[in-house]
Amino acid sequence: MVTLSAQHLVKRYGGVVALADGNLEVQSGQVVALIGANGSGKSTLSKIITGVVAPNEGQLLLDGQSVSFSSPLAARQKGITAVYQELSLVPEMSISENIWLSHEPMRYGVRLDRKAMQKRAQELLDLFKGTIPASLTPTTPVYDLTPDERQIVEILKAISQDPQLVIFDEATASLDSAQVTRLFELIEDWKSAGMAIVFVSHRMDEIFRVADQATVLRNGSHVGTVDIAATSERQLVQMMIEGAAALEREAREPVAAGAPIRLDVRDLTTEKLRGVSFDLRDGELLGIGGLQGQGQSDLLLAIFGAIPFQGALTLSGRRVHFSHPRQAMKQDVAFVPGDRGNEGLLLIRSILDNLMLPSLREFGTPLRMQRARSEAGAVSDDLSLVMASLDAPVNSLSGGNAQKVVIGKWLLRDPKLLLLNDPTKGVDVGAKGEFYKLLADLRHQGTAILFYSSDDEELLGLCDRVLVMHDGRISAELAGENVTRENLVAASMGATHHDASHHKEEPTA
Amino acid sequence: MNQANFRRLLARNSYLFALLLLIVVVLINYSRQDNLFDPSVLNRNIRVFLPLAILAVGQAIVIIGGGIDLSVGAMVSLCNALLVTWITPETAGGDILLAIGLVALVGMAAGLLNGIAVAYLRLQPIVTTYATSFIFAGLALTILPRPGGQLPSDMTGLYRRLIEVEAFANIPIIQDISILREIPPAFIVIAIILLLWAFLRQTRLVQYIYASGDNAEAAYTTGIPVQRIRLGTYVISGFFAAMAALALTMSLGSGSPTSGDAMTLDSIVAVVLGGTRLRGGQGGIAGAMMGVVILGVIRNIISFYDVPTWSQTLVDALIILIALAGPGFVRYVSDLIRRYRLQGGRAA
Repeated sequence: MVTLSAQHLVKRYGGVVALADGNLEVQSGQVVALIGANGSGKSTLSKIITGVVAPNEGQLLLDGQSVSFSSPLAARQKGITAVYQELSLVPEMSISENIWLSHEPMRYGVRLDRKAMQKRAQELLDLFKGTIPASLTPTTPVYDLTPDERQIVEILKAISQDPQLVIFDEATASLDSAQVTRLFELIEDWKSAGMAIVFVSHRMDEIFRVADQATVLRNGSHVGTVDIAATSERQLVQMMIEGAAALEREAREPVAAGAPIRLDVRDLTTEKLRGVSFDLRDGELLGIGGLQGQGQSDLLLAIFGAIPFQGALTLSGRRVHFSHPRQAMKQDVAFVPGDRGNEGLLLIRSILDNLMLPSLREFGTPLRMQRARSEAGAVSDDLSLVMASLDAPVNSLSGGNAQKVVIGKWLLRDPKLLLLNDPTKGVDVGAKGEFYKLLADLRHQGTAILFYSSDDEELLGLCDRVLVMHDGRISAELAGENVTRENLVAASMGATHHDASHHKEEPTA
Repeated sequence: MNQANFRRLLARNSYLFALLLLIVVVLINYSRQDNLFDPSVLNRNIRVFLPLAILAVGQAIVIIGGGIDLSVGAMVSLCNALLVTWITPETAGGDILLAIGLVALVGMAAGLLNGIAVAYLRLQPIVTTYATSFIFAGLALTILPRPGGQLPSDMTGLYRRLIEVEAFANIPIIQDISILREIPPAFIVIAIILLLWAFLRQTRLVQYIYASGDNAEAAYTTGIPVQRIRLGTYVISGFFAAMAALALTMSLGSGSPTSGDAMTLDSIVAVVLGGTRLRGGQGGIAGAMMGVVILGVIRNIISFYDVPTWSQTLVDALIILIALAGPGFVRYVSDLIRRYRLQGGRAA
């Protein structure tokens, strides 16, 4: 049995208060969801518990004893570990080396016992059997893995330590629904085996599926802890944000009939795509759905000219075949990547630098900084960017705000075709609401938007049409009344549109 | 698919390109010098390569750990100066060992200085070790203002052939087997280094060095003491610099305050030629050894062509640049081919 209690934790970075009053209580056999909007202090609280950062004030009680962890190692020795979203794997090492890193089984006390490492890594991988490719073995290097596979290795790495308490920090953000379901089954097992679990997530439905209690933070302070069984989604959201307006989604409005076709794609083929055709009109928000890794990212990258492809692209009535993103940018195409850390941002440069980067040419030589600053200021106001100043480095922003900068730097260019690659991954509810509003505004202005999302809710709630991809092909096009969860899920699993819409009536022979 | 497999093969076996290059340069050398594989010629070559080989071990470990050490050459100069100051032809055997031990400590202390500055004061490795290199070079000049000194003939003899040292000459096995008579201890040293590495590769310490160099933040959150590991790599590098100085001194028989200065960049080039990328977390010692031999053989080859003396540096640099660009060039060409195939398919 283990009980962890965080009491009145405070963390300040210089003058900025990241956590004002952090409280959390969790014990064996319990799943506590830790939720809160942008910059509410969730990650800071998690990091204090796992020893990554030290608190300025407050105390941490483990089984009633006051403890303080000077490093992640110290926390681990007390049985506390975390599943991180993106930062704890070593790419050049294999799956098994990563899982056992820093607690390798040894032979004779000096040599790594690679046989034992691999055997036990295989046992751990088998926990997710059926939801990951069979080609994954303990010796596969991590740089070969897709984001969802990496996330699973992160989970296994934490579990391999036989921890008493695990913090799942947005651990489901890159998993597909089958993997999430499997993880939740495993969490049930671990729970009944006496593990204490803190589950940080932005996905409401997941919180209601897996958690026993929810602890809500707002602006760095503890707002309350509630029993999930006795709480509604609406109540939780209200606790997270003052006034429940942010989650209200924009009502869908039909595309103006006869709007010109901005993009026409015929038989697009790459290493992953096997003949994709569709068209997209000005002012239309076209969703792309399906399980992770079915070619959605390839589709966007090919249109943007970032990867080679075959097939015919017609943009604004002209045949194009971009072989470099610069050519696409010249034709007013913009791409917002999902992996903002690697693809979208210069992390240590200022917000201004990042916003200006794609538009440097517009500001002349030498750069007209005054104009750049005022335009960037206008864009950041539009996005209601929460920041110290335009000169603050991007890595000082919270995840949601950093994602806004990725979008903002393209808005400065006033794009006609916007390609979005899972842009709300790991972004909290409040920021998502603002992001949806932004999409609606852009549609009003006639921007054509191609929107890949791994969040089914978004596709269902926002899009005029949804293309569901499976295995490099479009398995269904859902439009109008057909945009339903059932159709989306069915098509994701590879059923065609026709099958999907008549799924229920089919007799089971 | 073949293309992709080939790329993957290259990426996973960083030694592969080095091995191919090694075979090519050795064959070219052989075509100009048909006695290349005679024991006495091999012996002479390997003797010349050994100091750099030892130095490259330390450099490789620092680079794998995510740093770089620009002070190793100056450390060699310093240790070389100390060795010829402390050891004269009259020095007794026990005192020689003591001097060697002290020099090893000096090397490690120099590495400790680098390590503290880089790991704990968080200074940039390039700037820091460039700066400390002047400290070590300055000390070498203070200790040994001008070239000089002399080692006992047993030490220089030992470096050439086992048989030249009286104590070994009387052992029957060495007298009877011609390889043991001819092959220099340098071979044995390199064999020991490779065996030791094969063992160390299986230890936690080396595993941590790779992890820290690959993704320091991930290593830290996993509970690895990244700062201590980083410090350790510089101390190890200092130790190997001292051992390289010992080999160099035994090979030259005397000392010079600038004897090792040119070896810094060679050690880095050798490591990179051996397939270790400068961003860390990848590569290994066997590759670095190959890199040293490639570098040495390239210089041999140049000496066999009638390159005017004044142009040798230029030719040397150009060939090394081409060798370094090799893996990147292969990747670039295979990318071009892939693109071309896809676009060609569209036209068809």
